[in-house]
Amino acid sequence: MSPAAQAPAISNKARRDWRALLTRHEMLLLYVLIAEWLFFYFAGTSTNRRGVIVGFGTWDRQFDILRHSCEIGLLALALTPVIITAGIDLSVGSLLGLCAILFGKLWHDGGLPIPVAMGLTLGIGALAGALNAILITALRLPPLIVTLGTYSLFRGLAEAITRGSITYTDFPENFLFIGQERWLGLPTQAWIFISVALAVGLLLHRTTFGRAFRTIGLAPEGARYAGLPVERRLALVYVLAGLIAAIAAIIYTARLGQAKADAGTGYELFAITAVVLGGTSIFGGTGTIPGTLLGVAAIAVLKNGLACLPVVMRLNAAEEMSGLLTGALLLVALTASVLPKILSNLRPRRHTTTQSTPPLSP
Amino acid sequence: MKNPLLRFCAAGAVLLASLITASAADSKLIVAMLPKSKGNAYFISCKAGADKAAKELGVQLLFDGPTDSNAAKQNEIVENWITLGVDVITVAAENKEGISTALRKAQKQGIKVLTYDADAMADSRSFFVNQATPQGIGQTLMDEAARLVGEEGEFAMIVGSLTAANQREWQKYVEARLKEKFPKMKLVAVRPCDDLKDKAQSESTALLSANPKLKLIMAICSPGVPGAAEAVKQAGLTGKVKVMGLGLPNENKRYVHAGVTDSVILWNTGDLGYLTIYAGVALAKDELKKGAKSFKAGSLGTFAIEGDNILLGKPFIFNQGNIDQFDF
Amino acid sequence: MKRYFRELSVVGALLAVLLGLAWFAPAFFSPQPLLSLVTREAPTLVVACGMACVIITRQIDISVGSIFSVCSVCAGLLVARGWPLELVLPASVGLGALFGALNGFLVAVLRLPSIVVTLATMVTLRQGLNLIRQGEFVNLPDRVQWFGLSQTAGQLVLVGAALGLLVALAWAMRHIAAGRYLYAVGTDAEAARLAGIRPQLVTLLVFVFIGALTGLGAMMNLAQSPQVQPLTGNGLELKVIAAVVVGGVAISGGRGNLWGAFAGLLLLACVSPALTHLHVEAYWEKAVQGAIILLAVVADGLRSRQNNR
Repeated sequence: MSPAAQAPAISNKARRDWRALLTRHEMLLLYVLIAEWLFFYFAGTSTNRRGVIVGFGTWDRQFDILRHSCEIGLLALALTPVIITAGIDLSVGSLLGLCAILFGKLWHDGGLPIPVAMGLTLGIGALAGALNAILITALRLPPLIVTLGTYSLFRGLAEAITRGSITYTDFPENFLFIGQERWLGLPTQAWIFISVALAVGLLLHRTTFGRAFRTIGLAPEGARYAGLPVERRLALVYVLAGLIAAIAAIIYTARLGQAKADAGTGYELFAITAVVLGGTSIFGGTGTIPGTLLGVAAIAVLKNGLACLPVVMRLNAAEEMSGLLTGALLLVALTASVLPKILSNLRPRRHTTTQSTPPLSP
Repeated sequence: MKNPLLRFCAAGAVLLASLITASAADSKLIVAMLPKSKGNAYFISCKAGADKAAKELGVQLLFDGPTDSNAAKQNEIVENWITLGVDVITVAAENKEGISTALRKAQKQGIKVLTYDADAMADSRSFFVNQATPQGIGQTLMDEAARLVGEEGEFAMIVGSLTAANQREWQKYVEARLKEKFPKMKLVAVRPCDDLKDKAQSESTALLSANPKLKLIMAICSPGVPGAAEAVKQAGLTGKVKVMGLGLPNENKRYVHAGVTDSVILWNTGDLGYLTIYAGVALAKDELKKGAKSFKAGSLGTFAIEGDNILLGKPFIFNQGNIDQFDF
Repeated sequence: MKRYFRELSVVGALLAVLLGLAWFAPAFFSPQPLLSLVTREAPTLVVACGMACVIITRQIDISVGSIFSVCSVCAGLLVARGWPLELVLPASVGLGALFGALNGFLVAVLRLPSIVVTLATMVTLRQGLNLIRQGEFVNLPDRVQWFGLSQTAGQLVLVGAALGLLVALAWAMRHIAAGRYLYAVGTDAEAARLAGIRPQLVTLLVFVFIGALTGLGAMMNLAQSPQVQPLTGNGLELKVIAAVVVGGVAISGGRGNLWGAFAGLLLLACVSPALTHLHVEAYWEKAVQGAIILLAVVADGLRSRQNNR
């Protein structure tokens, strides 16, 4: 082929890439996020009696949103590789609780200095993740069920250890700094969140590990035939999830200044919602960290923005509304993601591309 | 705009934009009230009293809280109110230490802070509207239980959850009172019901058959009392095993009338809400200051102040004779 | 015998627990309290039957708890308004089926993953109910409890109805084409399609079915006490999924039966009263339940490894 003929082909391809980029799931989510943010900025900001600007459009509010989404954000980061490998981990919220009270116990009852306790807690998180990993890889058990079991087990252990009642408090100021103060302009824990996001992002998008995860998610058997150490890669994903849950536990403890057995109850649902909203396929194989981050942001902005709307305030229903809309948002996002395919399937020949009903992923 | 998703988003954005309503700059005082959990009947009746007070005083009342008891959510809601610039924040603290950081932040921004129902750290609020100390509740519960069974025999407790701070506190004082005053009584089991009435019923049924000598069930969470009563009724032990606990009149009326439940203990939650709002507004208007000895709250009259505790008075005991006078 | 090894081992574990109880805490078997405890599980059994069908078809439904709550509250409000039970029962079943149809539509027609779809409907329904009811109890008229029968008669009717449904469904799963379709679709949907089954339709209907059963379960729960708490279905989904899985229904579809699910449910339902009878402190309950679930899945894993060898 002559060079002259090649040029238009390239520019065509470039144009197609550009359009593909603009209509990618992440970009769409970004538009939604911006629209959402602008809406709340205009509708949720006002001037109060004393003439001070209050509500959504204040820096304080924005930092609060960031601060409040760090733990769920971390769990979402932990779940992204898991879901990409077509797995799931329901136990992360319970593990957060277990790690939080073990951290408290190590520091308070064990008399260990905070950094040592932190290190041990991270180790415990990784160990708990390893328990999931062993059951899932060595015994080839479905992750949904394994982690459903450890979901009860970890929370149950946390309650048994503290007999439900013990709450560890009185943490030193310099530890609380992690959860309650600002450092270099941002809430301190945001820096930890950003570093973990970068690390997981690099792992997923810039190393062969990431490619292995995707391959395993698409076709585990194929991956095995291609010579990938499927078991070891899968184990890595769950250990990583445990480790990140432990980090989230420490941040949670620092933000509230207390460690208690009910820490993180129900967080796994929000985290899964964020990951799926971010475009990670629950069947495995595709998903990105930027997508997950956008998903977390979309939920956090919705949740916090609603509480600033005068209408919602008058109804006294911020909590319920945000739950309701998060669920609805997830349904809409899911439907929207398959709608083009369904429509194009409907119009021409109907029976050519009949697929089997998607199986339950894990 | 070929992509349906894109079209959908555009339509959504237009819709959202059209929804924007300029929030009228309200010149009313804004009082925010945070319950431990919103769905709890206890706090619903609290809100009824608060609404009444807000109407009388002409202030705007914000009432929001976690849908289940959750310390982390409480902090998030308070922090939201700070940026909304409310004038007064009143809090029933799920966790003492946890909430106090947020409350101190509110005070720094010039927002008046009160606690009610469950206190936070003393330096993070101006006053605590004290409906009854945990000690008082524990003692009242235990004394009433002892009275019902003639100060001897076995009894069991149903608690909301194993982790809720106030439940643990009450349980502690019940046990302390038991040890100190009633040597012939024995606490044989403590079971959680997850704030579910149905679970309380199953747990009580098991308790009844596991402990044939059981004389009384004490439920210290509001769904627990009707649950335990239903179990006793179904076991045909009405009158033989007494049921009592902390609860609301409406949920227990039928069991009290049927003679299953003997007494339901509650401070008047409506009054608690009413008093809290009055105190909050007085605080914001600088009518209530540190060191005051008493405080007048609208139609309820004057309340004593002890240190920085505004005292609502003794817990109230509902029984067959008086329960029909109350509707909440 | 070997074919049902998995189910039989659950029955064995159940028997072991019961034997232990008979030895250490014979009071557990006094008839009246036992009947009450069993009656409390009757609605759960009905929902678990539906869940077994859904999981055999290789799907999952985690919205049953929320649907259960919504049906309970709606039915309670209708009864309180004076509707006769004969009308409320179909209304509740119909409402459940309607929510089931919504789930089924999203899963079967739009081909969305059931775990995410039902997660979303779960959250949406639960929060919607919170928004409207704010946790307030619904007080029912006296005629509702036990359908106006005596207590023991009412309990026997409820337990009988649940067991009858179980027997009928278990029979249908083996002997009626529709029952076998579930296994076919759960094992290999494409093969089922080639064999002339319409997997999409089967999936849709199985969701409608579990929705209807959930509505029925809500009614069976309603008839047991004179009040409805809007939180009543909280946690139900995990309870039934755990029961079904412990009972040997494979989460990967196509394997297991209702009798196993029944045994699994009884085993898990025993834990809490057994701990009470053995005077073990309540703090251990969740950990014990988690351990049983893990044990069951580990057994599954070991067995499938052996089979592969």
